[in-house]
Amino acid sequence: MQVERRTLLRKLVCSLRGRMRMKTVTIKQLLSFSVLAFVVSILPAKSYAELPVPAHITPPVGEHESPIVPQPIEFPHDRHVNDMKINCMYCHTYARRSKVAGIPPTSKCMGCHKVIATDKPRIQQLTEYWEKGESPKWLKVHDVPDYVHFTHEKHIRKFVFDEKFPVEDVQQVCGLCHGEVRGMTVAEKKKPLNMGFCQRCHEANGGPGDCWACHK
Amino acid sequence: MSFKNILENFSYYRRDAEDGGHHEYDHRFGMTIDLDICTGCNSCSTACYAENNLAVVGKERFEKGQAMHWMRVERYWDNIEGDYAEEGAKFLPMLCQNCGAATCEPVCPVAATYHTPDGLNAQVYNRCIGSRYCSNNCPFRVRYFNFWSYYEDSWPEPLNMQLNPDLSVRDKGVMEKCTFCIQRIRTAKDKAQREERVMADGDVVTACAQACPTGAIVFGDTMDPDSRVSKLWEKHQVHRGPFLQKKDKTNEEIRGYRIFDELNVDPSILYLERVRDTEV
Repeated sequence: MQVERRTLLRKLVCSLRGRMRMKTVTIKQLLSFSVLAFVVSILPAKSYAELPVPAHITPPVGEHESPIVPQPIEFPHDRHVNDMKINCMYCHTYARRSKVAGIPPTSKCMGCHKVIATDKPRIQQLTEYWEKGESPKWLKVHDVPDYVHFTHEKHIRKFVFDEKFPVEDVQQVCGLCHGEVRGMTVAEKKKPLNMGFCQRCHEANGGPGDCWACHK
Repeated sequence: MSFKNILENFSYYRRDAEDGGHHEYDHRFGMTIDLDICTGCNSCSTACYAENNLAVVGKERFEKGQAMHWMRVERYWDNIEGDYAEEGAKFLPMLCQNCGAATCEPVCPVAATYHTPDGLNAQVYNRCIGSRYCSNNCPFRVRYFNFWSYYEDSWPEPLNMQLNPDLSVRDKGVMEKCTFCIQRIRTAKDKAQREERVMADGDVVTACAQACPTGAIVFGDTMDPDSRVSKLWEKHQVHRGPFLQKKDKTNEEIRGYRIFDELNVDPSILYLERVRDTEV
């Protein structure tokens, strides 16, 4: 069984909050909750192995911490990537074709969720959007400034298709700039994506060094 | 560029300007403007405004000389008597000449303007600190400075929707200039790479060349011997390099010249002289 520390903690806190609202919580229960919370918090953060780095890439170096972006629906990447083994490029289908990776249209979500997990509150929220004919107002997480020209297509071509890298493992390549998305619910920015981060990787992997290759 | 690098590659950095200087060119983009066909209609200038997110500054600022037209059509009269003579007008579309030995490049204190491997004299807008040294050093006066934040009033809603996303909108304190529609060159290169072929002549058309109703502007790679541009350069006996041209002056068919060629800046634009049927 896979244990996600944060999800468990959230569930615990939610149930506690519900009981406190009903005013049925006792000192004994409160104590047992705190003991449970302590046990959960010392569990290992993730139970899966680190993503391996593809052999033909010198990975870019850098870490970044940013607050979690409040998305309209708390989309669980971990559930889709880790448990369901859905490829990144199944939903972000434009990554291999254009500059931007693209957010999938609601119709793509509904393709599965018309029948799958229709009893979950997040899916019901999604179905509401779908029936109203609106799309959720997703917020951009990995945003580069306006003066930067970045193409997903060229990077995917160089690192995946030209190298004959197996496409089913593409998250190892995506993860170099997007972090371990399979451990996140909503996407978080884990890499700095600044000029030094890009430039160091370009130098290590033979990318262009010309200013106008990336600036506009 | 470290000191070790300079010592190791000394002969490379000291290469003659005629051999391309220290540049390793992939392409050398150039242009030909036939003044005999040019009617001075200004559509090149208008196209440039649309393509390159140029700000419309208004009458007052225009009179102060703060206009942002990367491509301007200059007017000259053969007949100098009177202010606006009825005949004898000449038009000369003036844009950045993307000089091979550009005078603006060495004076930039932050290296915001530099030579790309495509032979373009590029300006990195987010690097520019606005010292305006380059503009003062340019003999053609084709560098334009953002004295104000024009984006606030130049594109009121919903005009901001027309902005070209392939090029940034420059803010106050930044020098800007024509770069032969570098965003189109980039798009064409990406397309050629995707189709696994080399760039062919006609893959890149600048906005001005595309808009010219008479086809006076021809754009292409002067390093490619089969391109329309290099054939025109050859025909009019003008060659790249910063040295004075030796051409057959007795032949009236040969009417190519480069502006300020005597300054040895190696402009990339070849102008073809206007031919008059009658004396003005």
